[in-house]
Amino acid sequence: MEKGPKAMTRTLTYYPGCSSQASAVHLDKSLRAIMGPLGVALRDIDDWNCCGASVGHIEGGHLANSALSARNLANAQAAGPEDIITPCAACYLNTHYVNESIRGSESLKKDLNEALGAAGKSYDGSLHVRHICEMLVTDIGMGAVKAQVKKPLTGLKVAGYVGCQTVRPFANTERANKFDTYDDPTFLDDFTAACGAEVLPFKLRTHCCGGSVSVMSPDKGLHLIKELLDEVQKLGADVISTPCPLCQTNVEMYQPEINKRFGTNFNIPVVFYSQLMAVAFGLDPVKDAGLDQNIIKSDKLLKM
Amino acid sequence: MTISPTPKRAYDLNFARYVYENIDGGERLRMCMQCGACSGSCPIGKQMDHGPRKLFMMIRAGMKEAVLTSNTIWNCVSCYNCVVRCPRKVPITYILHDLAYLAVQEGYEPAKKADNARFAKAFWWSAAKYGRTDERLVTGKYYFSFGIGEGIKRGLGNQAIALNMIKTKRMHLGMPHAIKAKDELQKILAKAAEIQERHGKGA
Repeated sequence: MEKGPKAMTRTLTYYPGCSSQASAVHLDKSLRAIMGPLGVALRDIDDWNCCGASVGHIEGGHLANSALSARNLANAQAAGPEDIITPCAACYLNTHYVNESIRGSESLKKDLNEALGAAGKSYDGSLHVRHICEMLVTDIGMGAVKAQVKKPLTGLKVAGYVGCQTVRPFANTERANKFDTYDDPTFLDDFTAACGAEVLPFKLRTHCCGGSVSVMSPDKGLHLIKELLDEVQKLGADVISTPCPLCQTNVEMYQPEINKRFGTNFNIPVVFYSQLMAVAFGLDPVKDAGLDQNIIKSDKLLKM
Repeated sequence: MTISPTPKRAYDLNFARYVYENIDGGERLRMCMQCGACSGSCPIGKQMDHGPRKLFMMIRAGMKEAVLTSNTIWNCVSCYNCVVRCPRKVPITYILHDLAYLAVQEGYEPAKKADNARFAKAFWWSAAKYGRTDERLVTGKYYFSFGIGEGIKRGLGNQAIALNMIKTKRMHLGMPHAIKAKDELQKILAKAAEIQERHGKGA
């Protein structure tokens, strides 16, 4: 049988997360575009809600914050037993953590089911919550990604910036299929190489951009982003590629402010790996890859 | 985890026990051997009053107020470097997260004024009210938590960024994004809060 997408298509439950409707629409858009060619049909969690990110617990409390994820898990289970995949680092961390906690603790499972019961819902802990990058590495494989490349990104120099929560604290655990390491992950460079682009040896790939601290208190976080950009500039990168919605926004939108504060001259495009794949797969650079939604445009990528 | 048995006491020799028994992952703190891998791994450690290693020793020493008023619990960027590097498998980030919640519950001053505490308040408001994080409203509410004048100043300071986000259709101008079943979510959250209150503890 011919190895075509139609023959292999399988459905997975998709949790887009809040940033998919705002700062990271272009991540959502490009992912939806590349999943078809890769043989995955996405079924969104019905009426999904926020995961609580890194701060929900502070005001909401531990249990109520976990209940946010529990509702998503319950809605996902009601639709089917398929794995949940999410592209957002924080959504993955929270949903995976709550799911694993439910699986490991009868008392938490009981408490969260009591909370869900207030709305006539329940969840038994049987689902598997996975990061899309892990799914791409484990289920799809780079061979299948390469097979879809119609326009190799030849000559595009890419610094792969992984960030934190995509790999920490779960990448090297059994339930994350040990898809990569915490300090020296290679999956993002593998994505770049599969697209036919040039992989740059970006040492700071798992350094933190400051996360939401950079958003709320730029004074505390901008130096972290500057260190990343310094290194990327030294490497002569055309673009930075990242899997994380917050990394993409932070590293991109603060460049003018960093230039003002530190006297630098950064103007480096920051794209999602899925945008690179969409372009390499020969899909529409705007409608599918969302390249018009990057604040700093990459002319080189746009012309590919 | 509503409050510890001795809220507002500067020193409490039972504080470590309280943390071991009531904070998510707190029981692993018993295993801390003070190696400092956590503090050495922290990208923002230099801006903390105390690194996690020292903070954990302070917990053992019963320095409750100093722990719950330190900026350590508010400056954590949740990068999880410390969690994956700790040779004793102490879930450090999780513990710092729940200490922040405890500080809010016990009403310490920094828990009212810290950037992260204000941000968390705005964030939870959006998540609980709409079921989604509306980045515009969360940022706006956070800015104005410093007062009207400061709110306007911060808003104007970020005008260029906001315009760029609107131009690239990454910030919309209409009503907040919201889930359909808001009342259902609110019932679940209210029940969860009630259960937590009943337990009188975190996990």
